[in-house]
Amino acid sequence: MSEMWQEAMIAAFREMMNRAVLFLPKLMAMVTFLLVGLAVGWLVKLLLMHILKVVRFEVFCERMGLTSALAKGGVKQRMSDLIGRFSFWVVFLFFAFMGVDALDLPATANLMSAILGFLPHVIAAILVGLLGILLANFSGEAVLIAAVNAQIQGARFMANMVRWGVIIFTGAMVLTQLGIAKEIVVAAFSIIFWGNRVGHGHCGGLRRAHDRQRSARAATASRKGRR
Amino acid sequence: MEDAVWKAVQEQCPDAHQVDLLIALPSFNHASTIGSVLKAILAGLNASFANASILIVNADVGSQDGTPDIVKQTVGDLVPVAVIQPLGEGSSASPFALNRLSYSGMPGREEAFRSFFVLTQRLQAKACAVIDANMRSVTAEWMSLLVKPVLESGADYVAPVFRRPRYEGSLTNNLIAPLTRSLYGKRVGCQVGGGYGFSPKMASTLFQKKFLWEGEAARFAIDSWLTTVAVAEGFQVWQARLGAKVQDNKAGAADVATSLVQAVGASYHYMEHYQDVWEKPTASSAVPEIGKPMETEVESTPIHVERMMKGFRQGLRDLLPIWEVILAPETLAGVLALGLKDDDDFRFPLALWVQTVYDFAVAYHEKVIHREHLLRSLMPLYLGRTSSVVLETRGGGPEMVQHTVEQGCQTFEAMKPYLVDRWRFQ
Repeated sequence: MSEMWQEAMIAAFREMMNRAVLFLPKLMAMVTFLLVGLAVGWLVKLLLMHILKVVRFEVFCERMGLTSALAKGGVKQRMSDLIGRFSFWVVFLFFAFMGVDALDLPATANLMSAILGFLPHVIAAILVGLLGILLANFSGEAVLIAAVNAQIQGARFMANMVRWGVIIFTGAMVLTQLGIAKEIVVAAFSIIFWGNRVGHGHCGGLRRAHDRQRSARAATASRKGRR
Repeated sequence: MEDAVWKAVQEQCPDAHQVDLLIALPSFNHASTIGSVLKAILAGLNASFANASILIVNADVGSQDGTPDIVKQTVGDLVPVAVIQPLGEGSSASPFALNRLSYSGMPGREEAFRSFFVLTQRLQAKACAVIDANMRSVTAEWMSLLVKPVLESGADYVAPVFRRPRYEGSLTNNLIAPLTRSLYGKRVGCQVGGGYGFSPKMASTLFQKKFLWEGEAARFAIDSWLTTVAVAEGFQVWQARLGAKVQDNKAGAADVATSLVQAVGASYHYMEHYQDVWEKPTASSAVPEIGKPMETEVESTPIHVERMMKGFRQGLRDLLPIWEVILAPETLAGVLALGLKDDDDFRFPLALWVQTVYDFAVAYHEKVIHREHLLRSLMPLYLGRTSSVVLETRGGGPEMVQHTVEQGCQTFEAMKPYLVDRWRFQ
């Protein structure tokens, strides 16, 4: 009995040790990936920020109104800092996922390939978002200046309408690109678009009815006058 | 391209290998005026250059009203005449052609001028005069006024000066001319259109300098930069007093903002190119003039200052975030203080105006915002300064306006170090 117990204990211990010995290199690999990720991420961040400084990216962002748009949104950091930080996290997460994959756990199987498959959508969404903000600011500024020069009183309102119109449209495009609530976005757009059309049509109809009523009244009045 | 123009002239005038004078007319649907313009030109040539060999060239950019036929009928056998298609492919060739078109009202005007410059070179002409076909006030005298300084006095470029009501051309008087004078040291009126005289040297230089026709320069109509380039390049500039300027309304007559973008944009654009020239300190000198002295007229219709003031105040309210980026803090503070004044007491100080113009030049150079937006956002400030000039001088005669303009020029010159400092060390 005692021997059996002893054998079971030794077998379990051996099994445990075997697993630990098998798992330890994987753990070491993950830690290595994390450390390399930190180092590479930091290097990429430095390199990118240096390139952005050389090409005067910050001046470009100011000129395109991106810096002021971010400031209005409560973001006080410079655009190049944001991009540097973003690049660090992208690189680090890339290595972190490789580390998790290296653990070879059943729960995280194919995690890396799934993430890599989704990455193009994220990059496309970021680009669309950036371009959208640039376009929104540019169009808003153009409308504002043109309206002020034409001495239209609601110049700022018009410019904001244009700016927010482009931003909302961009937001919808970003969400569609990320595959988030695709149906809701399409439905919302359809409602807004058709709502506008129906509204315009309704107003037009009312205006026409009003015109008809007025001309009928005028005709009656002139008939009375003739009498 | 150059050969096509030369070939067209050779086909129509086989004997024209070398001429003394090239008289050039750019045209586009100007059938109603070109006949009388040509009659005045012919009379002028007959009176002043009877013994010279002459070629009249009409560069027509696609008139649908028979303008080229009228040219041939009017000139007849009196002088050799050729009708050509201008160099290049017209307005469709340049994406910026619309900007220029709305300013000059004539598509392909720049290509027409380039054709004239090529022909001046090829024909070894001693002088070239360009007369706009839509002018109603051309007289026979114009020929000698535009050509004689070139032939007899060594002028390279003869710019037009017209008799105008005292407040007309306020953009030129309050901004373009003082800026040109302070930058390049020449007291030129910077008036545009109507007629110009060119020496062969100037014509060939302008044709050969590609930066005048390509890239960002292609945004600007030729009239907006001719005088600037002439003084910056160090050509002998003369001014011809041509009397009144009466012209047919332009097809795409530009609004004030577009004119401002063209005129100020061209000045700022060439500041970048001629930085080495204007950065040197220079005292200004007058350019020689020809023609009878002209008196400034009093305007026939009242000037509505209220509307201009409204434009300025709206700019102050709505464009402040843009001006904050463009103007230096002390300039912005001065502009903001103007908003507190009543309409009757409103004065836009001259020094503040000069500082504003220089700040905009630096901001244009630094590209702090999109350049078209920057130039258009100057409009309310320009309205503010113009209304101030009218309020200051309304009680006085035309001399008082001239005095204010001269004061403006002197202030621009005196404050040039401010511009140079900011331009270099911004």
